[in-house]
Amino acid sequence: MNEELDSQLSAMFDNELPAAECELLARRLSRDEDLKARWSAYAAIGATIRAEGGVRLNSNLAVRVNNAISSEPAVAVAKSIEPSRATSRRPVPRWLMPLGGIAVAASVAAASILFLRYESPMQPVAQSLPVTSSSNQTLVAKNAVPAAPDSYTVPKTLPRRSIVPSTQLANYVVAHSEFSSPVNRRNLLSAFMASESGTAGAPSGSDEPNEDVIDDAKSPH
Amino acid sequence: MSADVSDLSLVRRVQGGDKGAFDALVRKYQHKLVKLVMRYVRNPAEAEDIAQEAFIKAYRALPQFRGDSAFYTWLYRIAINTAKNAVVSRDRSPIEYNIDRSSDAAEESYDMQGRMKDSETPEGLVLTDEIRRTVNAAIEALPEDLKTAIVLRELDGLSYEEIAAAMDCPVGTVRSRIFRAREAIDRRLREVFEGGLGRTEDMG
Repeated sequence: MNEELDSQLSAMFDNELPAAECELLARRLSRDEDLKARWSAYAAIGATIRAEGGVRLNSNLAVRVNNAISSEPAVAVAKSIEPSRATSRRPVPRWLMPLGGIAVAASVAAASILFLRYESPMQPVAQSLPVTSSSNQTLVAKNAVPAAPDSYTVPKTLPRRSIVPSTQLANYVVAHSEFSSPVNRRNLLSAFMASESGTAGAPSGSDEPNEDVIDDAKSPH
Repeated sequence: MSADVSDLSLVRRVQGGDKGAFDALVRKYQHKLVKLVMRYVRNPAEAEDIAQEAFIKAYRALPQFRGDSAFYTWLYRIAINTAKNAVVSRDRSPIEYNIDRSSDAAEESYDMQGRMKDSETPEGLVLTDEIRRTVNAAIEALPEDLKTAIVLRELDGLSYEEIAAAMDCPVGTVRSRIFRAREAIDRRLREVFEGGLGRTEDMG
């Protein structure tokens, strides 16, 4: 047995091996029975030192679990969610999270205003002016409203995709939703899905861990 | 060093369809999990059954594990909940008095007795005690710096960096000392038990 390899295995057992080396060794460990035997011995040595009473050190639990899952299909994760955020992203400071939520809210509000303005481009200017008095209102109305055309022209509505591309907005909302609170996130996504129904698909993938597991683990008994 | 980097490497392999990597995770955490479950049930055999169920649940839920928390933290929560559910369902199930001596009832009673005594068979207890004695003797025989390093790691749960600070030596030296301590203990175990502890699992 290679001493360097064993030394790596010992450090990996303690979560003290660099990630790149872990990748290679994890592949080997999953196939090499001798390495697995050492790995088991390290676990039993630790259990003995900690004097974990009642625990059988010659347990066949691993064999039983292995037999049980051998009949199950291998688990598989979609490539889009495979990379782990724990190693590939820098942690976001907690104080930034509320700001992220505000930023998302402001972005969605701005997008909504843009959307409304594009949806009704033929609105008279007078409607958007502030009204201070009834006389002013009359004056403004007289000055602002142009002579009515002889024939009515149906205003042209711009296609929605030309305002804000749905996929782009979806990515934006989903990317920022992880910094907002769960309630804000749900509200924003609901509003977004409602406004974009028929034009955009649901954002794929979820950052939330398995709800069954979480609910399962949190449920009081 | 990332707190959970090696576990994550194994988790990613399982998520890629490698069941052998899950076996490594089970071997690493089986003792810890059984000890954890034994806070809820006193019977070691029942604790092992619950731990087995928790591992299987974890395996099925692994596609949803994103690595936001440490793998053991996630596994811990599954195990706690599985144990609580097991205790609740056991308390709800009616107590069966063995009045009816029909063959089915007798067989069931025999099975139950057999299961309850499974972990307390003389062979199992002797083997566990023998392993403990061998490990403890091997630790006692270690040079002082190796013994200190392995105890600080396993008993006090210090990181390599913390041990290096405590022992006033480089982190690389700590890694080497812990490895050499484990090797010495494992070598002694292999002398006493054919093939070492990894092989004795089949005997349980």
